[in-house]
Amino acid sequence: MAEHKLLEVTDLRMHFFTRDGVVKAVDGVSYDLDRGETLGVVGESGSGKSVSAMTLMRLIPMPPGKIVGGEAMFRGNSLLTMSDRDMRDIRGNEIAMIFQDPMTSLNPVYRIGKQLGEPLRLHKGMNKKQAQERAVELLDLVGIPHASSRVKDYPHQFSGGMRQRVMIAMALANDPDILIADEPTTALDVTIQAQIIELMEELQQRTGAAIIMITHDLGVVADMADRILVMYAGRAVEYGTVDEVFYRPMHPYTWGLMDSLPRHDMTEKGELCPIKGQPPSLIHVPAGCSFHPRCPYAKERCRIEEPPLRAVEGSHLAACHFAGDSDFSRDELECAGVSA
Amino acid sequence: MSDVTDDAKLLSDAENSPTTAPETPEPLKPQVTRTLWGDAWYRLRRNKLALVALTWLLIVIVAAVTADLWVIPLYGPPNYINTQTAAADRLEPPSIHHPMGTDDLGRDVFSRVVYGARISLTVGVAAVLVSVVIGLLLGALSGYYGKFVDTTIMRIADIFLAFPYILFAILLLSVLPPSERGMFPVIVTIGVLGWPSIARVFRSSILSVKEADYVEAGRAVGASDARLMARHILPNAVAPIIVYATMSIGGAILTEAALSFLGLGVQADPVKAPNAVSWGRMISDGQNYLMSNPGLIVWPGLAILTTVLAFTLLGDGVRDALDVKMKD
Repeated sequence: MAEHKLLEVTDLRMHFFTRDGVVKAVDGVSYDLDRGETLGVVGESGSGKSVSAMTLMRLIPMPPGKIVGGEAMFRGNSLLTMSDRDMRDIRGNEIAMIFQDPMTSLNPVYRIGKQLGEPLRLHKGMNKKQAQERAVELLDLVGIPHASSRVKDYPHQFSGGMRQRVMIAMALANDPDILIADEPTTALDVTIQAQIIELMEELQQRTGAAIIMITHDLGVVADMADRILVMYAGRAVEYGTVDEVFYRPMHPYTWGLMDSLPRHDMTEKGELCPIKGQPPSLIHVPAGCSFHPRCPYAKERCRIEEPPLRAVEGSHLAACHFAGDSDFSRDELECAGVSA
Repeated sequence: MSDVTDDAKLLSDAENSPTTAPETPEPLKPQVTRTLWGDAWYRLRRNKLALVALTWLLIVIVAAVTADLWVIPLYGPPNYINTQTAAADRLEPPSIHHPMGTDDLGRDVFSRVVYGARISLTVGVAAVLVSVVIGLLLGALSGYYGKFVDTTIMRIADIFLAFPYILFAILLLSVLPPSERGMFPVIVTIGVLGWPSIARVFRSSILSVKEADYVEAGRAVGASDARLMARHILPNAVAPIIVYATMSIGGAILTEAALSFLGLGVQADPVKAPNAVSWGRMISDGQNYLMSNPGLIVWPGLAILTTVLAFTLLGDGVRDALDVKMKD
């Protein structure tokens, strides 16, 4: 039997059934992940990045959420259909997660050591003392000084950056195969962001965990990721290696994301070019290509026909009718169609 | 690794003790690791009003508990009527022998006020405990499970709240013959009528804590529903209940006084409860002597007022103390 991929997600669809209609938060996303690999998932708020990751952990309340299609195989076992019990054994053990806001992700009534020990006691059957000892090691590992006395502190005695280190320590406590990081640096200030990213990379090298890095910051994934998945309105619009996506982006949405980033090689009068308009409501996703109302290159065909995610160049996939056409290229000079 | 550690060390040193040089080799002495409850106690102690209230309550409690040791030798038992001298001793003004005077049967008012604290405090605390136990249980079920369970419990709570409280209590208690009216039925009546508010407060508190990120984080490390409830939700949802319960004690004391005033409260019984005195009953008995000896009403009235006020102020203080956001 062929060896299974660590994680294989195919055509995952997670919809929310609300009074106002069906929110297609994730509508056909596929990717896979090998051991030790890092996948960057980027997109605007509401593009379905977080929901797709939370779906893997089955942390989406159902109802209103419902998996309407697709599959997510972890080492050949379906994450979507396994029992709650089995799922609990995987959470925090084989697949762990880091949340966006470290300020609210730690329980204020327990000491750091006790919380850090929770995954160990749950999955490794450690007793209090063993868990406490291991908590000290973990705290030390994530670079918190004087770990042995700090485990006795309460979360409110830690700063945001330190709390995120604690969250990382907690996620890595059981040497997970996959670490899902849901915008782990968004709530932190910039200098701390860099430290946290550095710490994650370093721990990844040490433990060999695969990371799914969810972010709206292309800069973060540029350094870290091996491959990048760009999401828009619940769908994957571009998927490829870092080099492919950064040096030869093919989807106009990815172009837009890049143009809206400040770069050090920008000319003096160079302005940021934000993408015009708002992300669509996920209840009424535009027909055809969901990006067409905001796309400066949109043609008649985009309004009618939904572009499939197709291989344009080897492993580099894009969901645009024109991607790969020789005469279809990004307007470099002006803020194309945005300045209007 | 090392540079990350160093960075972090610098950071944490800078955060924790600006006066310590970052190079300090020995571990930082963690500034007296305080628990949340330790913090709360610290903040409570700095609240003068709450401290006064607490002190007053302690005095009342100690006086009531130790009453047998000093009140009876000094002023006689609260219900003692000396048939020989009663006629002469009745309605005396305050004196050294009777600090608060005597009532119409020659009983020492001070002794009665002190013993009255026993019933008021016991009924107040026990009735609120009954409410809290029922309220926590139903509120937790309601908040955690939602849907049908929630609707059912909350509608029952609404029904309870729609009853005229005191009338309902009167109805329940008047079923019992006077000889059966000990402390127990009064406690149960007040307690059972008090649960809906507690259940509501707890339910909403659970609803908000349930959505907290740390509960999600707990789920993400593989904790079961039962574990999430016991370890993450309940401990964080219970603070408002402590505050509410503290304040409710005052309300329960008032209710007991009102019921006693109406003759439905705790009754003295020569055998079972020889020293039972109720402040509400004292006021009720004293109203006939409002003109000749107003002390008969003023003293128990003051006792009720100060005790209830103290519980309210203490509750206020506890609320501020438990609010982490109101740091110092």
